[in-house]
Amino acid sequence: MPFTAKSGKFNAKINAVEVGTGDKKITIGGENVLPFYTFDDAIANAPKVGIEITDGGLDNEPDCIKKYYEGCTSVVDMAKKAASFEGVDFLSIRLEGGDPNGQNKSTEELIALLKEVAEAVDLPLAVCGCKNVEKDAELLDKASQALEGRNAMIMAAKEDNYKTIGASAGLAYKQIVGAESAVDINLAKQLNVLLTQLGVNGQSVVMNVGTATAGYGFEYVVSTMDRVKAAALSQSDATLQMPIVTPVASEVWAVKESVASEADMPEWGDQEERGIDMEIETAAAVLVSGSNAVILRHPESVKAISKMIKELV
Amino acid sequence: MGKFVVIGERIHCISPVIRKAMAERDPAPILKRAKEQLDAGATYLDVNIGPAEADGEDLMKWAVQLLQNEFDNVPLALDTANKKAIEAGISVYNRAKGKPIVNSADAGGRIENIDLAAANDAIVIALCSAEGIPADNDERMGYLTTMLERGLEHGMDPTDLWFDPLFLVVKGMQDKQMEVLEAIKMFTDMGLNSTGGLSNNSNGMPKHIRPIMDAALVAMCMMQGLTSAIVNPCDLRLMETIKSCDVFKNNTLYADSYLEI
Repeated sequence: MPFTAKSGKFNAKINAVEVGTGDKKITIGGENVLPFYTFDDAIANAPKVGIEITDGGLDNEPDCIKKYYEGCTSVVDMAKKAASFEGVDFLSIRLEGGDPNGQNKSTEELIALLKEVAEAVDLPLAVCGCKNVEKDAELLDKASQALEGRNAMIMAAKEDNYKTIGASAGLAYKQIVGAESAVDINLAKQLNVLLTQLGVNGQSVVMNVGTATAGYGFEYVVSTMDRVKAAALSQSDATLQMPIVTPVASEVWAVKESVASEADMPEWGDQEERGIDMEIETAAAVLVSGSNAVILRHPESVKAISKMIKELV
Repeated sequence: MGKFVVIGERIHCISPVIRKAMAERDPAPILKRAKEQLDAGATYLDVNIGPAEADGEDLMKWAVQLLQNEFDNVPLALDTANKKAIEAGISVYNRAKGKPIVNSADAGGRIENIDLAAANDAIVIALCSAEGIPADNDERMGYLTTMLERGLEHGMDPTDLWFDPLFLVVKGMQDKQMEVLEAIKMFTDMGLNSTGGLSNNSNGMPKHIRPIMDAALVAMCMMQGLTSAIVNPCDLRLMETIKSCDVFKNNTLYADSYLEI
């Protein structure tokens, strides 16, 4: 009997979410097949790559990244430069200086900076908070307001602040609401349910289901993403059909394998090469597990991952 | 496995309100019942227009278009003894949310409804009976084989025949209940889908008892592999049980708000 290949495309699909406005607008998600399964059906929209800068500017970058921003004297300069790197689809700014346990910068100061950055670049934007739930509620509410009309991703609403951030980003200012859970599949679903019950349009939600650097409990990340896609596609679960956006950079550039200098760890070799490798490996792995976008930091990682996506889709 | 498919049974011409609405082509009462059932978690809606010998074709077309236009192409089970009415309904049916279900065929006088489903790429509910109630599971499985072969001969996908074991009333046939459950397990072992009028078990019982019996039976049936049932989705206890069993069976991912979605 001849072998007849059966297409693995699903009747359900991941929501296609537009981010940004104008010519540079991107669409995340929309596929009805497993990640990169182009032999089952065309991938509606190739995964997208964002580059991350922070409110801390150059001081906050690892030495190996500083040189790519040579000549930049402000965060705005860096934003313009970051937007020009090869393979960048969107710009992410992480307002980590707002953390009350860190620099504790005021919301006013950070929002003023965010506005300057937004005016300087026409790429789609993602805004990430400082990881403190109370401060993020305030910060991301103001960020949603400041970016009105930019259709930006607000990263992210969590279980403890989704009401404030969902109401602000999703209802009042019509941004894209990021829903963040920490490698907890049931909570990932629950947050989407809660946001839609709040009145947020499910088509304007993206998920950060949590990540880790490759090697750091990463199998839980993979199984979470696998299960999300299985529910979304094979079980047609509308509460999990939101595209996944994974901020890789903030994890990768916090582990010793990426940042320990060659002087400290001579047997690990060149630090820059190692950091880029860690970032590329992690990004590639979350993409094949179902992430529809990744946020990276090193311009070389961005270039490589963007090339990988182009060749696979 | 997919989620348990709830076919809402409340658009039925046996109800005076619905019968009148159908006769007068009055949308409001039909749409109201449809909305209640969909809000309560029904996937399919059964549309029973009765024998409808006089104007069945026109009535079924009207009902299909009415419901699908109002509720984003909600999938429907077309329920009537009038074959031409079923075909007329399918001719205007939109498949975006699922194939139409022909309700129903059996292994006796209504076996040709399998041919009808095959010709129209529809699902068919196949009652494991010919005349009256099957005496035992040997008889049930005999009917099943006849109907399955008929479907396959006409090019149907076996999973498009949803076998109905024939649920029996407890008051009078209590000793036959386990047999029905065993039949479902046999269907499941063959990789087949199943459905049926599950609440028949509690016919004649007091109103407050029926949801309890129906919920207990649906849980036992889902354990045996039942994939669907034709029920009243507005029965909260029953729907909560189905949603909970879907979680245990890993048909749906658990979230704290699972009962609300």
